[in-house]
Formats: sequence, structure tokens, C-alpha cells
Amino acid sequence: MRLLSMTGLALVAGFGLSAAGTEAVQAPSPAGGASTSSATPADDQAASELKEHHRHHHHGGVTKFIAMSLDTLGTDDAKRPQIEKLQSDLHAEMTPAREAEQSLQLALADGIAAGTVDTVKVDAAIAKLITAADSEQAASLDTLNKLHAILSPSERAALVDKVQAHWEVWRQVNHEEKPGGREPGGRLAELTQEVSLTPDQVNKISAALHTALAGLSAKFDPQKGETHVHAFSTAFAGDSFDAKTVTSNANAHLASRGATRMVLFYETVTPLLTPGQRTKLAAELREHASHQAAA
Amino acid sequence: MRVTKLLLRKSEDPMNRSLVRMLTGAVVVSCLGAAPVRAGINIQIFPPALFRATTTPVYYEGHAAYWYGSRWHYRDARGWQTYNQEPRYLHDYRAQHEPQRHYYGRDSEHRH
Repeated sequence: MRLLSMTGLALVAGFGLSAAGTEAVQAPSPAGGASTSSATPADDQAASELKEHHRHHHHGGVTKFIAMSLDTLGTDDAKRPQIEKLQSDLHAEMTPAREAEQSLQLALADGIAAGTVDTVKVDAAIAKLITAADSEQAASLDTLNKLHAILSPSERAALVDKVQAHWEVWRQVNHEEKPGGREPGGRLAELTQEVSLTPDQVNKISAALHTALAGLSAKFDPQKGETHVHAFSTAFAGDSFDAKTVTSNANAHLASRGATRMVLFYETVTPLLTPGQRTKLAAELREHASHQAAA
Repeated sequence: MRVTKLLLRKSEDPMNRSLVRMLTGAVVVSCLGAAPVRAGINIQIFPPALFRATTTPVYYEGHAAYWYGSRWHYRDARGWQTYNQEPRYLHDYRAQHEPQRHYYGRDSEHRH
């Protein structure tokens, strides 16, 4: 009886495994021999770098998501120079906000290195950033119209999907991520790696961030961002487009939220770091600021 | 669960118990994987936002297609769709091209 039961189990197991195997897809080898298998987001370098980018750059809001989406749109070679020109124009139209964000990051870096963040200086920089971000949409109307005219329907659909993807990632790291959370790929995990935090520091910083950022969620309305992204997506995917008809503008709201969260993060962790760790962290933040200058 | 309890009687020797546990585990794992297939349910994992935002798609049949989870996926008016049979064009494209990812790290050449 026992033998029969075990034999039955073995047969069922074998049948199940063979049935599952029928769904496998044969993959060809790519040029160069590298694997084409898709990485999971959690352990993917490109994904990790994008999250870090969206944690530190808030000057463009949805306009910036559009410009970033052009990085991976994959249009044909004939169109590429024109697309690159329009992307460059979009970056230029975001210059005032980008410079304001750069000032903010440099002020923060100075504060981190010194051990105390100058809140007056930082608050003034945030205010300037918000004002500049608010005017980006109006500045980019002509460029967006030209972009629509040059893209095919499938490219426009792909761009819209990418804008939505950037918005989703931005929202995740600047709103949904638990303050002080220790999950892999989270901000605290990144900081732990960046400056080699001790377990005791991780505990203290986690608790401090939880307290410092506790009230921040209530001050942000993700629906504003959702409305802006949806309005742009619906209009841009259509055959005709006039950027002026997209009247929702969440750019200032996103800049405010992202910058405030970034500042609170650094203000909170700074007193809990050693001088050596502060020097390293300040240098990393200056790098973020210097990259903006190159755009 | 009932099968396991019936088979794991106290009178059995440890070796048989181990064998039964192993087989039970294999049954559970295999059934989890096979049941949706036999029921006609096709469980798909579509490319997440982090992937789509950093990956250049391949345009095919009027859609931007992404190779993710060993399948090609695309989005249309109904939502995300998956090619259960890999189209020849996409198969050949994948054989001849590296996946194009964009890196936003500070050491990467890119625009912020």
C-alpha cells in the first residue's frame, strides 16, 4: 500500500513537471554572447540607478519624465538627430529649475560636510526650485508639439508608456517607500552601502527617518501627478496634439515633494554619521549636482 | 495534506518518511506549475516600470515590444499582451542585438 502511494506520488510529480515544461520558450544567443534573459528589477543595476536618479532629481516633474523617456524610445536612425535636438531643447527649457536644484544640492552637500545643514539656505533654494519648476510646462509647449509631429503612433504610445513608468518609479521612491525602511534597494540600504553604515547606525537612522518623515505623506497628493500624467498621455497618444490643451501642471508639486523629502533625509542622517562618512556622502551629492550642470 | 498525514505514520522508518516528504514536495511544486497550464490559464509577468523606463523596445506590428521574463510583451488598447509564440522577426532581432538598457548612474554617460 505504501509502495503504491509513493509510486502514485512520483507519477503525479513527473507528469506535473513535464506539463509545466511545455511552456518553455527557446531563446537564441544574442550577438556577443551575452545573456538576453531579463533581470528582475530588484537586482538590476539599471533599475537601481534609475531609482537613485529619481531620488535626487526633481526639477522637471512630468516634463523631465518626457525628456528621460526619449533616452530609451528607440526611434529609427533617420529620426534620431531630430529627436536628440528636441530632447536637448527640453533640457534647455528646464535649465532654471535644474540650476535651482543644483544650488540646493550644493548647499546640502556643504551642510553634510560641516555636520549641520543650513536650513534657511536650503529652504530658500527649495522655494526657488518650486517657482522654476512651475514655469517649465509653458516653456516646453513648442518642443512637445514638434515631438508629437515627428513621432509615429507606435512611438508616441511607447513614449506615453515610458512617461507613466517614470512617474510610477518616481512615486515609489519619493512617496510610497517607507521612511527608514530597510528593504533591499531602499534608500537606507543604498546609504548603508555608500558610506558603510554600522548596524547600530542603521538602527538609529531608521528610527530617526521614521520620525522625521512621518508627517510628509499627508503633504503630498499623488493624484495631482496622476492627473498631469494622464492628461499628457491621453492628449499625446492622439493623432493631433496641442500641448496647450494639457492644462494640468503638477511639476511644482513634484519638485516640492521630491526636494523636501531629499532635504529631510540628509538633514536627519547627517548628525548620525562620522566625519569620514559625511565627507563621502557630501562628495556623492556634489556629483549628483555636477551631472546636472552637464545637461 | 491528508495524503501526507496518512503516509507519515509513526511506524514508518525514517528513510521512508524522508522519501515521502520529498515526493510530496515534488507533487506540490509540480502541480503549482502545471495546474494553470492544464486549466488553460496563462500566468504572465509583464515588464515592470523600472524595466520599461530603462529599456529600449523593439517596434513590431505597430507596437513597442519588450523582451522580459523570456517572452515578448507589448501594450495595446486592451492592456499588456504577450506573444506565446515568438515572432520570427523578434526572434532574429534578439539573436543579432544586445538588449539596450539605459544607465542613470553617476558614472554613466547620460543627461540628467
